[in-house]
Amino acid sequence: MENSKMYIISVYSENQVGLLSSISNIFTRRGINIESLTVFPSEFPGIHHFTFRAITTEHAARQVVGFIEKKVEVVRAFCFPDSATSAAEHGILEEYLQKRNQ
Amino acid sequence: MESLLGEGVDTVFGYPGGSILNVYDKMYDYADRLRHVLVRHEQGAIHAAQGYARATGRPGVVIVTSGPGATNVITGVADAMVDSTPVVVITGQVSNAMLGTDAFQETDVVGMTGPIDKWTFQIRKPEEVQEAVAKAFHIASTGRPGPVVLDFTRDAQVGICDFEAYQRCTHIRTYALPAPADEATVEAAARLIDDAERPFVVFGQGVVLSHAEEQLKAFLKKGGIPAASTMLGLSALPSDFPYYVGMAGMHGNIASNMMTQQCDVLIAVGMRFSDRVTGNPSTYAPRAKVIHIDVDRTEIGKIIPVDVGILGDAAEVLERLTQRIRFSFHDEWASLARRYDRAETEKVIRPETRPAEGPINMGEVVSRVAELSRREAIVVTDVGQNQLMSARYSRFAQTRSFISSGGLGTMGFGLPAAIGAKIGAPDRQVCVFVGDGGIQMTIQEFGTIMQEGPAVKIVLLNNNWLGNVRQWQELFYSKRYSQTRMLNPDYSLIAKAYGIRYRCVEDRAELEDAVREMLEAQEPFLLDAHVREAGMVYPMVPGGHRMDEILLNKEEWYRDGE
Repeated sequence: MENSKMYIISVYSENQVGLLSSISNIFTRRGINIESLTVFPSEFPGIHHFTFRAITTEHAARQVVGFIEKKVEVVRAFCFPDSATSAAEHGILEEYLQKRNQ
Repeated sequence: MESLLGEGVDTVFGYPGGSILNVYDKMYDYADRLRHVLVRHEQGAIHAAQGYARATGRPGVVIVTSGPGATNVITGVADAMVDSTPVVVITGQVSNAMLGTDAFQETDVVGMTGPIDKWTFQIRKPEEVQEAVAKAFHIASTGRPGPVVLDFTRDAQVGICDFEAYQRCTHIRTYALPAPADEATVEAAARLIDDAERPFVVFGQGVVLSHAEEQLKAFLKKGGIPAASTMLGLSALPSDFPYYVGMAGMHGNIASNMMTQQCDVLIAVGMRFSDRVTGNPSTYAPRAKVIHIDVDRTEIGKIIPVDVGILGDAAEVLERLTQRIRFSFHDEWASLARRYDRAETEKVIRPETRPAEGPINMGEVVSRVAELSRREAIVVTDVGQNQLMSARYSRFAQTRSFISSGGLGTMGFGLPAAIGAKIGAPDRQVCVFVGDGGIQMTIQEFGTIMQEGPAVKIVLLNNNWLGNVRQWQELFYSKRYSQTRMLNPDYSLIAKAYGIRYRCVEDRAELEDAVREMLEAQEPFLLDAHVREAGMVYPMVPGGHRMDEILLNKEEWYRDGE
């Protein structure tokens, strides 16, 4: 069995009513407790940034990210062990949005 | 309001009510262009829309009111989600000002359907309608299809706005359509397949959804690869296709399950490794390198770890794979299927479909329908033994011919789904197999048949039990038959009340004639087949076992090599 540890799950999405609840449901359904949550407008206009911290396994964290990304309004989601820094995140998203011709 | 016409919708299934009255009022003016099928319960509407979508490949459309109307479609929404069925559900909602006040027939549709559908959107202004409807159809029918719920508040229904020429939606910035598969993964898969000695394909409904039937045939022929189907993949390949070895899973064919356990490369196409297919996943296909082709990223590696995951549309991926692989033969390996088939025919199939004496068997009825309908019928099933028997003993010549509730296993699905399938494909014979339990869950839809007249052929496999649960109680719960005995009504009187032709068959000698009479009928028909009460579905891999641990009957496990 994989070891559980703290993961940061970072989500960029459109700003839409009900989205927070449907994203947090993805954690609930798998019995993952959310330790902390912040939501704020991202550096990209019209795009919101959610940051979840939760104790789980890498496999489960990746699954959660996959299911979050399946939500129509979600742009991208990432997961990192809490210790890692996420400097790459900004660059990936910027490139992605440019490519999608927003 | 009628952006629907812009999407080419010609049929909707629905039930009016207070919060959707304005839409229904408008519909009155469109009666010549839009057929509305009035069901008897909202659950019937969504299952009919699912049957329609599965038979035609076009999204089914449901219109219901708020509150109980919306909660009654929830089962079907969950069902369509797990079975990847494109359905657009329009629910009424109270006015914007009354949202959140516990107004009459108000319920939190967005909150309830969010976790079980592909997309939910509440429309609060008339100006939002056109864009939302366009997005709904786009999302429901592309990628991995699924149900979409549009919650129309009263304000969105009554306001007036300019309606310009309808524009379909082709792009949503946060919703990516399937991209061409990554070249490196296709190449890696081709190498694995070329090096395989015992390659094996398990395909699912993804093949039907991506119209990849011909690509799959070409791939199997070039690679000389035997293939099994999941239950929802049935009819994607004709039953007599040379490389087809049967259905995989708990009640699948011996050949497909035994070969899964022995193959050295398993190629999974458009399927999701349901526990009904894998048994205990840690013992599934133990010798195989696994290639998984799916359009949904979250499916790849979800249950079975993969060696090569190919994210993409089945038709496109199979076509490219076929170009890359060598012509191969695996005759000795493929011919194993015949050995397993011989054993299954002798031990299970012949006793089930050609018994010499005793009451009629369920498999016998399904078999006679398959033979006499010349494999041309769309087979719809309910859930339980009737479903497993239909899946095992139906034979198919063309795709989109098997409609069943797979992932959710919704009893009551069969009858309304058959109505939808017949309305979607009026030129095809539609036969629904249903048990005495399931038919009573949605029996009110006889009223829809009476009013709308779709010539569905209903085969009631009547054993006075909740048969599949009874089977589990017999095998695993020491024959403690808790609450599975059913006292049945007189179906002849029910059929008579609804003006549906009826015939009861109890004797084997009459069965063939009764099935023929049913198939030749031009109108709806209920065939009430009184079948063996203690009927069992075999072979069976008990839940959580390895897929080569197969029960042939109560005492006997299948042993390879006999």
